[in-house]
Amino acid sequence: MSSKTQSATVDRGFIERLRASPFLSQLLSNRLAVAGLIIIAAVVVLAVYARLTYDLSNLLATQFGTNPSEAPPSLQYPFGTDGQARNIFPRVLYGAWYAVLYGTVTVAASTVLGVGLGIIAAYYGDLTDNIIMRTMDVLLSFPSLLLALALVTIFPEEFGLWRAVGALTLVYTPRFARVVRGAALKVLEDEYTDATRALGATDPRLLVRHVLPNCLAPITVQSTLNYGLAIIDIAALSFLGFGASPGEPTWGMMLSNGVEYGLFSGAWWWSFFPGLLLALTVLGFNLLGDGMRDALDPRMRETVD
Amino acid sequence: MVSRRFVLKRLLLLFPVLFGVATVVFAILHLSPGDPAVTIAGERASQEFINEIRSDLGLDDPLWQQYLRFLGDVATLEFGQSYQINRGTPVSEILANRLPITIELALLGELAGLLFGLPLGILSAVKQDTWTDHLTRVGALSGISIPIYWSGPLLILLFAQFFGLLPTSGRIGSEYFIEPVTGFILVDTLLAGNIAAFQSAVYHLFLPVVVLGIYQMALLSRMMRSSMVEVIRQDYMRTARAKGQGSKITIMKHGLRNAFIPVITVIGIQFGSLLGGAVLTETVFEINGIGTLLVDAISQSDYPVVQATVLVFAVLYTLVNLGVDITYSILDPRIEQ
Repeated sequence: MSSKTQSATVDRGFIERLRASPFLSQLLSNRLAVAGLIIIAAVVVLAVYARLTYDLSNLLATQFGTNPSEAPPSLQYPFGTDGQARNIFPRVLYGAWYAVLYGTVTVAASTVLGVGLGIIAAYYGDLTDNIIMRTMDVLLSFPSLLLALALVTIFPEEFGLWRAVGALTLVYTPRFARVVRGAALKVLEDEYTDATRALGATDPRLLVRHVLPNCLAPITVQSTLNYGLAIIDIAALSFLGFGASPGEPTWGMMLSNGVEYGLFSGAWWWSFFPGLLLALTVLGFNLLGDGMRDALDPRMRETVD
Repeated sequence: MVSRRFVLKRLLLLFPVLFGVATVVFAILHLSPGDPAVTIAGERASQEFINEIRSDLGLDDPLWQQYLRFLGDVATLEFGQSYQINRGTPVSEILANRLPITIELALLGELAGLLFGLPLGILSAVKQDTWTDHLTRVGALSGISIPIYWSGPLLILLFAQFFGLLPTSGRIGSEYFIEPVTGFILVDTLLAGNIAAFQSAVYHLFLPVVVLGIYQMALLSRMMRSSMVEVIRQDYMRTARAKGQGSKITIMKHGLRNAFIPVITVIGIQFGSLLGGAVLTETVFEINGIGTLLVDAISQSDYPVVQATVLVFAVLYTLVNLGVDITYSILDPRIEQ
């Protein structure tokens, strides 16, 4: 069988399983989860639109002479202008691109790392399991934002926002490892695992073709819940001064500048709108993640924290 | 009754965790690209001077020697002197002054969260799938989605700037000087018998506690709701009602005790987010706790302060979770097996 047809059968099997799954139908009957999904879709559309429409160098440059400085919201400047006379509206839209991009990389990287470590720990057990999980436990003994703050320092400053992504990836990985290990252990207890092994399946085949697909639901829930957290934490690190460079149109940076230079001199819009979009986006992920957790098979629910 | 063996076992398990935590902190600081000797000497110092500092600090020694020395220092709570923030002051002294301020803020935030979050969660569960429930749930999800560094400044703008009801920042009015006894300002002002100072401290703490409390309230009401919903479905609840017991009494007598058990674990786990929130709250309200200390220390490369502060935060978190585990085993003796 060629590899192409093989992947096609895998895909069809996956879609059929998805369609038949009570998970999806239950999720879609949850109005709050659907509202979350709509918010996320809107943010992604805005993000892509902003990325394709605006030129980043224009958004970075000061606009004295072109625009008034610290102008309140109006038809011309829907979200007002900031202290550098920049129009805040396109900057906030571009901030969505940053949030989606850096949030996705953070969640994807910690999911991949965590899934790998968790499955290996569950499958090999004993010493391997102990070494991996005790290391994860140590990382989990730090309050997450504080560990991220400390970890940011190991990356050179030129990395900008990628420092926050790197630090938070390391902070979130243990959670995924724990969830996946728990779920994988449950799958490995099942009889079909023994059956597959009796049929002569190799370790990697058993893990990738049988254990991993059966752990997908809790992994997806954990990823969704972490997505909102990643976006809010990346912005928090920027707010504290570790992440975006000054002037960069990320929500965290705009908030930080707006609070520091604008809020108490009357220019509330400078920090208000970036914060509003940030809160709405995070709410979208929390609504969806919450609905997903409720829709999850109760046996797997307890593995997600 | 909680067995002594269980507590002893949990206490012994603390050591490997603390050892691991110390190792991670050591690793982080040694992976950082900055050179502490340059930080101390200043950018324009001569190479000889920098080398001298390097050998004074023992930075030329092999890594394993530095590691062992670091572990020894941690074990004896000897964190050295600050390079930058309070140059020359022992780090333990800085921490002793600032730690109570963070603990005070965090405890009050947690208390506010419990006080409002638990009843809301119970209400939501009892009125499951009514408008009260939907509203509470959306409110709770919004509460955890709103960043502290957005809601905090907006509340300052509204209540301090616009209405002029509360102070904008700080921990107490600058006109008061209170001799630190316990380090907790609310306690110290009362010990000093200075009611005006106490009032000022309360006013200053109000908004920070609200901001921090909203987040905890949101988290706790969610957990309380899902735990209570689970308990209401149990057979013993139906039996109690079938016996003719009023549903309010059933919930109070059988429901709460069982529903609290998982929530207590969550309080422990979420203590980490409380501490993270405290760092952000301190930054927003310019409160001199260990949160702002850590942020300042990192941006000024004050390594001894960074390592001590991160360690203290991790130890605090670990100890709270130890306490939670022990409480849990008292409430649910099955956990020991």
